[in-house]
Amino acid sequence: MNDEVRMKKLLKQAVRPVDVRAEPARDLWPAVLRRIDQDTGTDASVQSGWLWLDGALLAGLVVLGVSFPTTIPLLLYYL
Amino acid sequence: MKIHPYLRAYVAGIFMPTLVLPLILTGYITLRFVIGVQVPIERFVIFPMAVVPFLFGLWNMVYLATHDHTHLPLGVHGAILPFFGAPIGALVASCLGVLQIRGDGILWFQVLHIPYALLVCAFLAALAGYYLVWKYIVGFLNRVLGIA
Repeated sequence: MNDEVRMKKLLKQAVRPVDVRAEPARDLWPAVLRRIDQDTGTDASVQSGWLWLDGALLAGLVVLGVSFPTTIPLLLYYL
Repeated sequence: MKIHPYLRAYVAGIFMPTLVLPLILTGYITLRFVIGVQVPIERFVIFPMAVVPFLFGLWNMVYLATHDHTHLPLGVHGAILPFFGAPIGALVASCLGVLQIRGDGILWFQVLHIPYALLVCAFLAALAGYYLVWKYIVGFLNRVLGIA
């Protein structure tokens, strides 16, 4: 029993007490938000690139249809 | 939703041509019976009415079956379809007398002359159109029906 008390005392000396109300040295939430923004920003730029390509394709189709109306029935035949 | 995935893929595939066909028919019927342009509707309508929806549905089933191996985006998968559909459509049209192949181009519906150079542009336009239709419309339906 005496050893047990001595062991508790030694452990308390060796291990730093943990404060349950302890907070990080700085606010971490802005870093989390920055990380989320970075990820979604990459996806958005990729999607934006695809949207530009798709828009260009659509514009090309419209230009072809206006320039050469004879192709319109041909294209509709396959749709 | 795991039951009958191929049936759902077929339904999602045929949606677009089935939706567009009445609009095209309305346009051609108006051209023929209202404006008086002599176009043999009854002969050429077989391909867009019967073959195109079937090809779309079948191609979407192929997408479902092969996507795990190929990992092709749906738009690109759809843009491959004209390589099969165009020769079939041309063959059907040629057999029905809707398409005549000439030295300087092709004659559609006995009135529309399309030079070969323009035919290449039309084919590229078909690739672009199919890419957009498959990416946005068929892709949306696949998501709605729980396939994608």
